[in-house]
Amino acid sequence: MKSFVLKISLILFFLSKTTKGDVLFSSLPRSLFVVASAMEGQVLKAGEDDITVTFGLNQTLTNQTDGSYKKAKVKLCYAPVSQVDRKWRKTNDNLKKDKTCQFTIYNKPYERNVKGFKWNIEKDLPTATYFVRSYVYNDADEEIAYGQTTNGKKSDNLFKIQGISGRHVSIDIASVCFSVFALLSLFGFFFIEKRQSKVKS
Amino acid sequence: MPEIEGSPGSSMHGVTGREPVLAFSVASPMVPTDNTAKFKLPVDSEHKAKVFKLFSLANPHMRTFHLSWLSFFTTFVSTFAAAPLVPIIRDNLNLTKSDIGNAGVASVSGSIFSRLVMGAVCDLLGPRYGCAFLIMLSAPTVFCMSFVENASGYIAVRFMIGFSLATFVSCQYWMSTMFNGKIIGLVNGTAAGWGNMGGGATQLLMPVLFEIIKKAGATPFTAWRIAFFVPGWLNLIMGILVLTLGQDLPDGNLGALQKKGDVAKDKFGKVLWYAVTNYRTWIFVLLYGYSMGVELTIDNVIAEYFYDRFDLKLHLAGIIAATFGMANIVARPFGGFTSDFMAKRFGMRGRLWNLWLLQTAGGIFCLCLGLVNSLPLAITFMILFSIGAQAACGATFGIIPFISRRSLGIISGMTGAGGNFGSGLTQLVFFANASFSTAKGLSYMGIMIICCTLPVSLVHFPQWGSMFLPPSNDGVKGSEEHYYVSEWTEEEKLKGMHQGSLKFAENSRSERGGKVASVPTPPNVTPNHV
Repeated sequence: MKSFVLKISLILFFLSKTTKGDVLFSSLPRSLFVVASAMEGQVLKAGEDDITVTFGLNQTLTNQTDGSYKKAKVKLCYAPVSQVDRKWRKTNDNLKKDKTCQFTIYNKPYERNVKGFKWNIEKDLPTATYFVRSYVYNDADEEIAYGQTTNGKKSDNLFKIQGISGRHVSIDIASVCFSVFALLSLFGFFFIEKRQSKVKS
Repeated sequence: MPEIEGSPGSSMHGVTGREPVLAFSVASPMVPTDNTAKFKLPVDSEHKAKVFKLFSLANPHMRTFHLSWLSFFTTFVSTFAAAPLVPIIRDNLNLTKSDIGNAGVASVSGSIFSRLVMGAVCDLLGPRYGCAFLIMLSAPTVFCMSFVENASGYIAVRFMIGFSLATFVSCQYWMSTMFNGKIIGLVNGTAAGWGNMGGGATQLLMPVLFEIIKKAGATPFTAWRIAFFVPGWLNLIMGILVLTLGQDLPDGNLGALQKKGDVAKDKFGKVLWYAVTNYRTWIFVLLYGYSMGVELTIDNVIAEYFYDRFDLKLHLAGIIAATFGMANIVARPFGGFTSDFMAKRFGMRGRLWNLWLLQTAGGIFCLCLGLVNSLPLAITFMILFSIGAQAACGATFGIIPFISRRSLGIISGMTGAGGNFGSGLTQLVFFANASFSTAKGLSYMGIMIICCTLPVSLVHFPQWGSMFLPPSNDGVKGSEEHYYVSEWTEEEKLKGMHQGSLKFAENSRSERGGKVASVPTPPNVTPNHV
């Protein structure tokens, strides 16, 4: 029994170590161009505003072949300032572990030029500074090229999204009502019992 | 004037030295049954129950037990309700890792103070009102979560909710008014363990509530706020149940009874002095910070850890995190059991070794938990760690009754506060700053547990020895009587205030271990020597 458990643990341990040749971001060519409607420093509101994105193969660069491009995704990514002290948004060169881009706003088969698709900024988007990045994938669903609205250092052309607070007047009112009920019942009980014991004695 | 047994003026009174933790009932020859009393359970002369019937709701004893542990359970649910929802809350409120860490520290810090004060509150108002006040006053703080919009609000609300963990004291106090001293060990251990389970139950409950509310149509940032109403309602419901169904003492409520008899109380200053000047108190304050303290820390960080490190869904991370806290149902009583088991053969030295072994094992598994990269191994090490740490909590309270008889209440309170202090300190050092990842924090915490458990080897009882040293050979200084009676001054001894300690010393001879038969105290003869 003990050796069986040991063998299983060892197998699981080694399985966790194998990697299937993960894709590294630094190895990807920047062969796409991406343009978003959000300007530098603009503040967009979640649940109200939208973003219009135009992206496709960058024709100005030479030797571009897009035969292997099968699928395209466009993602909303955190700018470095929104990653500070927040390890759950950390940038990792290994794309399987990378957490920079957590929101996919477009996911369709590849087309050389996608003009102006609109995306409503959803209500579950947190308040942060963002940029837009697009990836193209091959048949094996691995990233093979990318493009983004900002520069290599991710310092240029960043925009802000203001998330919703999640608060509602009805929730606030309910909260106050229950709190008042708690205080009233506690002190009510206390004083009624005190009065009753005075009456008895 | 002899001290009146079971008087409300002595917190934790009734936890005497001799009874094994898993004694389910006291046989009649040992403690005579009062046959004139009309209770559903057999009671002793003070109308405290002699039997612990787990699945009964008999008024007042078992009803009190269930009200008491459920109240404590509820406060754990409320205090740690935010932890499994942190992945959502951190995006809604734009929190940094420091903010999350500081909130965790805040959630356990409030009760350092409130646990110390709660003993006095129970003395003044009785345990029923002590418990009810705390639970009902903390209900609004739980409802306040719906207003929070930024990091400072979040930290402030978690701090206020955390005060309610002082129900630990009211719970243990209330048990000691209702149950005979010979079974109080099991009763208190069970109540404490089941209360602590709330920290696990909340990891399961909150994500499920969140998912249900989301499915009902709310956006995530609203859903978590609505989910918080449930712990708030639990506080309300338990508060009302305690007020309507509870009573302070077997014969009625405190106010009525205080008017009848006089309650002989010890002087607070003296009791505090003997607690503070006993070095063993401080060693156990440190030790409990690394058994209970790390348990509270893990309640705060583990769900987020599994969510981030292994990319699990929120409710799955919650389920795994819950198994940590839920292990309390057996792990804490298990620690008390092994303590008693070791004591039978090896006496107090066995208890000390048992504590060291369990707590160090917990530390080693914690170290491993932070190091492994695979999910199955992480879960395995987490479960082993939980058993080690929680059993160590149970084992700690197997030793604490022997440190002092006079100051037992304060020492228990200080130890409990030490648990919270250890938790706050650990979260501040290892989990609140960006210097290292949560995984590294866990490993360092494991190393810290191992180091901070070493001082248990310094705990020496002249009459029983320590981990490495044998008991003293001196006939006078090596006796139990000398140790326990030395807490009383000559004038106090002349007044006979030390009689309880003498009786206790007699009963504690079983801590010598081996085949030493303990001399039974003749029931009506109390020794008059000093």
